[in-house]
Amino acid sequence: MPGIPTEELESHLTARAFCLTSAVWFALATTVGMMAAGYLIAPDFMANIGFLQFGRIRPIHVNLVLFGFVTPGLLGAAHYYIPKLMRTPLYSQKLGLATVILWNITLVTGVIALSAGHTQAREYAELIWPVDVMVVAVFALVFVNMILTIRNRREPILYVSVWYACAAVVMTGTTYFIGNVVWRPDTGALTGIPDAILLWFYGHNIFGLLLTPLALGVAYYVIPKVTRNPLYSHSLSLLGFWGLLVVYTHIGTHHLLQVPVPTWLKVIAIVDSIAMVIPVMVFLINIWYTARDRLGEIHGDIAGKFVFTGTILYFFVSIQGSMMALPQVQRITHFNNWVVGHAHVGVLGFAGMIALGGLYYILPRITGKPLYSRFLADLQYWLVLIGVSGFTVVLTIVGLIQGNAWLNGETVYRVLPEIHPYYVLRVSIGFLIAAGAYVGLYNVVRTLFFNGETERP
Amino acid sequence: MSQKMTPTAVVVGSLAILLTIVFMVVFWPWATMEDSPSEIFRSRTAREAAGRRIYMENGCVYCHSQSIRTIDWGHGASRIAQAGDYVGDSPILLGSARTGVDLSQEGGEHPDDWHIAHFINPRYTRPSSIMPPFAWLGMEQIQLLTDYVQGLGMKNADRRMERQRHWKQKVIEAYEAGPEYNVRWLAEQVPEGWRRIPNPYPTTEVGLARGHKIYQEFCLGCHGPIGDGMGPAQPWIYPPPLNFTILKDREISGGIIYYQLMNGITGSAMPYFKKDLESEKLWDVGNYVAVYFINQSDANGEPRGIDASNEP
Repeated sequence: MPGIPTEELESHLTARAFCLTSAVWFALATTVGMMAAGYLIAPDFMANIGFLQFGRIRPIHVNLVLFGFVTPGLLGAAHYYIPKLMRTPLYSQKLGLATVILWNITLVTGVIALSAGHTQAREYAELIWPVDVMVVAVFALVFVNMILTIRNRREPILYVSVWYACAAVVMTGTTYFIGNVVWRPDTGALTGIPDAILLWFYGHNIFGLLLTPLALGVAYYVIPKVTRNPLYSHSLSLLGFWGLLVVYTHIGTHHLLQVPVPTWLKVIAIVDSIAMVIPVMVFLINIWYTARDRLGEIHGDIAGKFVFTGTILYFFVSIQGSMMALPQVQRITHFNNWVVGHAHVGVLGFAGMIALGGLYYILPRITGKPLYSRFLADLQYWLVLIGVSGFTVVLTIVGLIQGNAWLNGETVYRVLPEIHPYYVLRVSIGFLIAAGAYVGLYNVVRTLFFNGETERP
Repeated sequence: MSQKMTPTAVVVGSLAILLTIVFMVVFWPWATMEDSPSEIFRSRTAREAAGRRIYMENGCVYCHSQSIRTIDWGHGASRIAQAGDYVGDSPILLGSARTGVDLSQEGGEHPDDWHIAHFINPRYTRPSSIMPPFAWLGMEQIQLLTDYVQGLGMKNADRRMERQRHWKQKVIEAYEAGPEYNVRWLAEQVPEGWRRIPNPYPTTEVGLARGHKIYQEFCLGCHGPIGDGMGPAQPWIYPPPLNFTILKDREISGGIIYYQLMNGITGSAMPYFKKDLESEKLWDVGNYVAVYFINQSDANGEPRGIDASNEP
């Protein structure tokens, strides 16, 4: 049909499927998280149901948030902005849809396996070998679709978002393969201290090479669009991109500063953790200067609001992370809830907020209708923002209590009754996040399938 | 400038960086690290290995570290971890949080019956624990898990286990010889000097209130709310927890109670509390037991020495 831009001819099936995937797993993942937090205040609640006990559902929560909610959300946006930026349709919607279906089969298999106790017991790398292979396969499929779309491009210049999306998918596929020791199906692990070094190299990179670049890609796309400002500096985006890749990959061993690993490796991890300030600030300066004088537009656009908030929390979590790599700080923060708070600002506050922003940016554009409810999206924004901020405050306090008490020689058993009230607060605040996830799910489902609004003019 | 960022540059460039860094920070340490076993290392028995599998399946690693640092005081802090302790571990189970205690040196800290009661429901032996109950595993798996935990610490654990078995036999003999003998035998194991010491703090309402709270957080699971040794852990423990209400007029000084709280009674399920509770807390809970359950306290009795300055 000549005259009609290609993107309007597309069904955007892949992007839609990723949006729905993300919204559904967000709701389930936070429900499981609530359950886990509940056990910490009432350990005999639902006692003796093996597949629902704390140690089984904790990895389910973590894996679902990472691979069920945040990654598909960010990839949904990427499957919209890559064709748009390359001025060509997605290489194959069928392949895309098949990828999302396989992705969901992988997640369901992973959840069932974990709840049945089939795990490799390495944090962030729990999934057993067959599921590992499926994860690598879905990343490979995403990459194929992405790179073939780029090959068909009618726009010669690759915008920074495209670099990030491509690099994230390639590097995650590779890191996942190495980190899960896929060549050793029986254990999925090395032996002794090198296993710990590999595990935290991988564990940290799941954040640094998957969530961060995908989220930055979305921010680089949404913020200039919403503010209708050109990107502040292309040199800065280059510096930020390569800087992130070079620096982030070195820092995993900062999880092992109190463990007998080689000192030179600890030094590298600490120095590069501090050096993370460079790529982080380069990105933030670039994005914040792009948004300069246009905060009104950001406030007025629900996607802009989510994404911009995500960049502020990125600032917070990154600076906090750099400081946490200092050995003196870790004497207090290691092994306790401080780190759990840090992880929640990073995954939910930064990457999760930007994933939701990307979702709300593309939903009206892929359905051709306005969002079902702007009010509900706003409600979700405040529920998640208040939830994640409150969570961080509470968990940071708990972490400080635990860390200082232990350093003083008080045992775990002495500190447990002391932190009980904070665990109660944690569940109450976690409820806001879970409620936000369900509000979002309702809004996404209505927008995708039952949106009574008339077609956009 | 951006025109140089071709798809090839992005994909090949990022992969080249990634693989270079993998070589440097993962492969190089793996290839060059000294991997000789430490002096406490030994390989696991088949039962211990099976227990470790259960430990992994149930996510114990999320709450229990196996990694003692130079700054630690609590459980397991009798030995700082060395790389050579882990040479048999695949995967390594260092853990990333201490929602529960560190287990590096757990082997032999308690006898088996304590662990079994604890797995049935952790609050039976540790009332303030927030660990899930594992009764659903069934006794066979609980036994395997216990074997694994009793091997943590390797050769150090073996020495402690030997000590547990040695004293287990003695405490059973004493218990089976009847309460009269048992109580006397237990008191005689306390060094002479301690036996003559009365509780140096006077009985006060506030001291008893503190003792009451500590009793609920640490003692109630075995000795029960009324000190008769019929706490929920009782059916799993042998010899059963001591019934305090039989101790009147049996010359149980504050010093004897303090010493046994502090060091525990190896072989029996009675743990040591010197890591958990500092001096005054031990005296407080000891006096709570003496006043409420024995109904006889030597608090602030002779010999007293120079009058303490803080007493009413």
